[in-house]
Amino acid sequence: MATGQGVKGAAIGLLMTVAAMQAVQAQVPGVTADTIRIGSFGALTGPGYLYGKLPMNGIEVVFDQVNAAGGINGRKLQLVREDDRCDPAAAIGAVKKLVSEDNVFALIGGGCSNATFAAREALDQAKIPLIVMASVHDGITTPVAPAIFSTALTSTIESQAQLEYALAQNAKRIAVVSMRDAWGRARYTPLMEAFKKKNIKPVADEEMAPDANDATAQVLRLKAANADAVLIVLYPKPAAIFMRDAQKLGFKPLAIGQSGIADPAAFEDQVGSPGATTQFRTISMVRYTPEDPAVDKWRKAIEAKFPGDRLSVFNLFGIGSAEVMVEGLKRAGKDLTRDGLVAALDKLTDFQTDVYGAGITCTTGDHRCNKAPVWIAKEPGKPVRVLGVTKVE
Amino acid sequence: MTLFGRRNVLLAMFVVAAVTPFLVNDYYLFIANTILIYVLLSIGLNVLVGYTGQLAFANAAMFGIGAYTTGLLQVRLGWPFWLAFPSGAVIATAVGLAISLPALRLKGLYLAVSTLAFAQFTQWAFLNWETVTYGAGGFKTPPISFAPLPFSKEIGLYYLSLLFVVVLFVLAQNAVRSRFGRAFVAVRDSEIAAQSLGVDLLRYKALAFGISGFYAGIAGGLYSALLNFVSPEGYDLFQMVLQKSMIVVGGLGSIVGSILGAGAIVVILEALRAVKGVQEIAFGAILVGFVLFMPGGIAGFLKAKLRGWEEPLHRTQGGRPPPSTLVTPSEKSEVRS
Repeated sequence: MATGQGVKGAAIGLLMTVAAMQAVQAQVPGVTADTIRIGSFGALTGPGYLYGKLPMNGIEVVFDQVNAAGGINGRKLQLVREDDRCDPAAAIGAVKKLVSEDNVFALIGGGCSNATFAAREALDQAKIPLIVMASVHDGITTPVAPAIFSTALTSTIESQAQLEYALAQNAKRIAVVSMRDAWGRARYTPLMEAFKKKNIKPVADEEMAPDANDATAQVLRLKAANADAVLIVLYPKPAAIFMRDAQKLGFKPLAIGQSGIADPAAFEDQVGSPGATTQFRTISMVRYTPEDPAVDKWRKAIEAKFPGDRLSVFNLFGIGSAEVMVEGLKRAGKDLTRDGLVAALDKLTDFQTDVYGAGITCTTGDHRCNKAPVWIAKEPGKPVRVLGVTKVE
Repeated sequence: MTLFGRRNVLLAMFVVAAVTPFLVNDYYLFIANTILIYVLLSIGLNVLVGYTGQLAFANAAMFGIGAYTTGLLQVRLGWPFWLAFPSGAVIATAVGLAISLPALRLKGLYLAVSTLAFAQFTQWAFLNWETVTYGAGGFKTPPISFAPLPFSKEIGLYYLSLLFVVVLFVLAQNAVRSRFGRAFVAVRDSEIAAQSLGVDLLRYKALAFGISGFYAGIAGGLYSALLNFVSPEGYDLFQMVLQKSMIVVGGLGSIVGSILGAGAIVVILEALRAVKGVQEIAFGAILVGFVLFMPGGIAGFLKAKLRGWEEPLHRTQGGRPPPSTLVTPSEKSEVRS
C-alpha cells in the first residue's frame, strides 16, 4: 500500500516536473534546448523573388555556417520560409502563420515594401523581433516600432545620400529628374527637404512618367539650366531613356541614381548606347559586387547549397541581415527571450558584417540600422566597381 | 431531407463558423475571415456570370473600388468606418450599374474585353491618381473599434463578415429562386428567347451587374478593414483570376457552390504554402483537374452524387418540390402574352 502510494507520488511529482519544464519552454516560442526557429517572409515566386527568395538563400548559408560551428549557445538555427508573393494580404497571412502556427522565435524578412508595410500591424501586435532584409519603405521603421529593425537602406536615407554625394563631388549646379508616383514621391519629398536643410535650390526640377519613352524636353531644360549633376529618382526604364537622350543631345552631367537601379551592368545594357553611362553612379546596399574576391566564401557557400545559382547582390542582402540576427542572438545570451533579443539589437553599435557599407548601429530611438549607402559604377567594358560609402547622419 | 443534404451541411458550416474565433489562433482566424470575404465576392460574381451568363472581368475592380472608397473616406474625410463602409458598397454598386450600359450591346468575348479594359483603367487610376488614391504605395486605414461590444478588432470583424455572408447568402438564394433568378437564367440561355418571353434585357443585366457590384463593394470594405491597408496590388488581374476560379471550382450557377468554391480556393492556396516555390504550378494543376474531372464544380458533383443538393429556381413548399406539371404563367411571371 505504502509502496503504491510512493509510486503514485513519484509519478505525480514527475508529471508536475515535466509540466513545469514544458511551461518554461512554452514561454519562449521557437526555442528549444537545441534549436532556435527563425521565420522569413518574402516573395518566393514571381518577379519579386529577387527581394525574397534570393536573400533567404543568403540567410540559409549563414545559418548553415553558424550551425556547422556548433550553433548559438548550443542551439542550431532553423529557417522557416513563407511566400508573400509581394501581396499585402499574403504578407499578413505569412506573418500570422509564422507567429501562430510555426511558432518562430524571431523573423528576418520583408522584400517588397508595400507587403512589409501592410504587415507592420500584425508584427506590432505579435511583438516579434524582425530584421528587415530588403524593403525600403520609411513607414516600416518610422515611427519606431519597438521590435522592428532594418538593415536595408530606407528611401529617405538614399535621397539624403544622393545630395551628399553630389556635393562631395563638388557639384555646384544640381538638378533633379524624378517620377512623382508614390515610389518616386517617397524619395522626392525627403530629397527636397535635404536640399532645404542645406539651403540649396536645385537649378532644375524635372518630372518623368514611369512609362515615358522620350526625355528630350527634360534633357534640354536641364541642359539650358547648365546643371553639372543630376539626381535621378527614376525606375530603370525611364532612367535609361533619360541617359540615352542626354547622350544624344550632348548633355553629360554627373548622373546620380539610387538603389532602384542597383545593377549598373544591366542598366548599361538597357541604355544600349555606348558611353552613355560613363558618368553614371548609383547606390547599392552592400559594399561588394558578387564578383569581388572578398565574398569568395559566400559565393562558394551559395553555389554549394543551391547548385545552379550564382552569387547575386540580393543574396548579400540576406547574408548581412542574417549576420546581424546571429550577433543579436549571441548577445541575448543562453536564456533567450524576445525582449532580450530586442534589447541586444538595440545596443548594436558599429557591428561589422561581411557585406554592408559600414558598421550596423541601432538605438532605441532609431531602428534604421544601416545608414551607409555604397556607391557603385561601371565604366564601359569594365566590371562594376565600388567607389565609396556615404554615411548619412 | 437527407442527413448530408445541402441544408444540414450549410447549418453545420454555420455552427462551425460561429464558434471558430474561440477555437483557432490568429492565423486561422485571418484565413477564416478571408474566406468569408471571398464568399461574398463569389456569390456576387456567380449571380453575374453563373446565372446571367455575362462574361465580365470587372469584379476585381469593383472589389477595389469598395476597398478604396471605404478607406479613402476614412483617411481623407475623416469619416467613421460605419459610414464609409456602406458608402463604399453604394459606389461600387453604382459603378456596377454603369458598366451594365455597354453590356447591353456587347456579349461574349467583346463584353470580356470591354470589362477587362475597365478593370485596367481602374488599376491605372489606383496607381496614378495619386492626389486621391496615394498611388502605388497605398495607404493605411484607421483600425476599427467594436466598443462597447466585448470583441477585439479581429473577432468583431469576423462576426461582421459572417453576418454579411449569412444575410447576403439568404438574399441571393431567394433572389435566384424568384422571377429575377429565372429571368437571369433566361438571359443566360438565350437573349432572344428571353426577350421573346418579355424579359427586359437592360433591366436584368443592369440588376445582375448591380448585385455583383454591391457584393464586391461590401467585400472590399471588409477587406480594407481586415488588412488596415489598401494598395493597388490586391485588385489586379490575379485577383480576377482568383475570383473566377472560385466560381468555376464551386460551380457556375450555384449559390452554395460560391461558398464551397471560395472556401476551397482559399484553403488550397494556404495549404500550398507547404510546397514553397511551386505554388502557382500546383494551383494551376488543381484548377485544370477541376475543369477536367468536375466540370460542374463541387456543387455539380454533389448534386450528381448526393440527394438534397438540388438548387431549384423556384421556392419549395413545405420542403417538397412542386409537382412537375407545366407551370401556368402567373401574374408574377416574366412570361407575358
